[in-house]
Amino acid sequence: MYINNLNLTYYRNYQDLSVTFDDRVNVIIGQNAQGKTNLMEAIYVLAFTKSYRAAKDKELIQWDQNYAKIEGTVFKRQQQFPLEMQFSTKGKKAKLNHIEQQRLSDYIGALNVVMFAPEDLYLVKGIPQVRRRFIDMEIGQIQPIYIYHLTQYQKVLKQRNYLLKSLQREKSPDLTMLEVLTEQLIEHASIIIEKRFIFLKLLREWAEAIHHSISQQREELTIGYHATVEVLESDDKEKIKIAYLDLFQKNREKEIERGTTLVGPHRDDLIFYVNGRDVQTYGSQGQQRTTALALKLAEIELIKAEVGEYPILLLDDVLSELDQYRQSHLLHTIQGKVQTFVSTTSISDIQHETIQQAELFFVENGTITQQKRG
Amino acid sequence: MYYPEPISKLVDSFTKLPGIGPKTAVRLAFFVLNMKEDDVLDFAKALVNAKRELTHCNICGHITDQDPCVICQDQSRDESVICVVQDPKDVIAMEKMREYNGKYHVLNGAISPMDGIGPEDINVPSLLNRLKDEQVKELILATNPNIEGEATAMYISRLVKPTGIRITRIAHGLPMGGDLEYADEVTLSKALEGRREL
Repeated sequence: MYINNLNLTYYRNYQDLSVTFDDRVNVIIGQNAQGKTNLMEAIYVLAFTKSYRAAKDKELIQWDQNYAKIEGTVFKRQQQFPLEMQFSTKGKKAKLNHIEQQRLSDYIGALNVVMFAPEDLYLVKGIPQVRRRFIDMEIGQIQPIYIYHLTQYQKVLKQRNYLLKSLQREKSPDLTMLEVLTEQLIEHASIIIEKRFIFLKLLREWAEAIHHSISQQREELTIGYHATVEVLESDDKEKIKIAYLDLFQKNREKEIERGTTLVGPHRDDLIFYVNGRDVQTYGSQGQQRTTALALKLAEIELIKAEVGEYPILLLDDVLSELDQYRQSHLLHTIQGKVQTFVSTTSISDIQHETIQQAELFFVENGTITQQKRG
Repeated sequence: MYYPEPISKLVDSFTKLPGIGPKTAVRLAFFVLNMKEDDVLDFAKALVNAKRELTHCNICGHITDQDPCVICQDQSRDESVICVVQDPKDVIAMEKMREYNGKYHVLNGAISPMDGIGPEDINVPSLLNRLKDEQVKELILATNPNIEGEATAMYISRLVKPTGIRITRIAHGLPMGGDLEYADEVTLSKALEGRREL
């Protein structure tokens, strides 16, 4: 799949941009603070309806305007369709084929994007939230219904935490409502965990092989899942449910005392091991980078396997963060099959032929000029 | 505001209505100025009367101009079935169907700890009292199929279950006359869950 046209209106520092991309590699070149990342972000937002770096949607709108618009034409499975995201002070609209989608889960997944930014190097050493977001985003792209269960889970969780806080204040609390919300929470939690386990199995297949190859057969990656409930990865939804019921029963007093939900998918984590050692704690900077790269490359292959086409890859300022060997491994993998956007301040230090044959786009203060290299 | 006070007051009143922004409010206010005086008076009366003369039925909680409401007074209705809904508008929707001949109980809300709404803040206690006094055989829970509506239905069912009254929940699934291919995944999976033997 690839994105052909991109139009931005009042988006960040782009007043009115219309640009046509190559279906292979596009290199976005510019000095700092000219709009390279904004352009990458726009493609990301077009796929996921929200930014990975803006706390509020409002930030996407140019400061003196009251709306922002991103439009793109996507080619997928020999079909061409327009996508549109609109942001205004009142909220956002997601349009697929000119038709507004009431549920974002009906929209997300139309365009598949894999992003690799310097922040992703924190995937391994950062806080658990980063890894949960990684796994949730990836499953959501492949299976939109996962997003539904995730948002329902978060809503119930919020209600439940409010209830737990209010129960603290009461001498003889009415526990019926807590039981009801616990049952609702478990319903979604068990589906989330089951789907995460299925995804992990696929991710491992790809990531472990890719990691093996990047590390030149010297290192073995294993991916573990740390669940707050005692379950096996082979367990189905029903078994997970029973385990949760048991655990919530045990934790009830503690939860009321603390006024918050102590276990559930929102507290789980991924753990990466290289040659049996936890990379987050014991891995070198290089090992952490290799792991992050292997995960991202696995994502690309996974989406290809599940969706039937390669996703679009966004490499935001990340090539310069990788050494020569990892750089060429990455570029070799995408060569000729994945539409890729590379942002960088200069291309002189990237020798790979993939980059030398790419379309070049120069960004300066919110305008883009295209230049073909001979 | 640069309008004379009576107009700006009217504009302010209109903006209190749902779905009306400042621009629409100004348009409506100026429309009122051009209306016939009789029509304006009727309009004002209708507003006041709707507020003054309508109360909630003491038995079922539905909005009514006579207490108990027409449905609760109706002897021909089946008293052994009560359909529990969230909103008076839901009663109207059910009545339009002309299929249901039981009674209603309007909760006027749903349980939501986040908004500080507990079971006592909606008509749950009055429902439990009704179940004690009347000869109810079945309770149909027709709250909305969202988290709060679902939680409210589950809560009521837990309280009532021990009394032995039959408790049912309305089905979720595909709209009639629709195409399977246009259904969203969530509705479709619910419809699959609730499939039945033919």
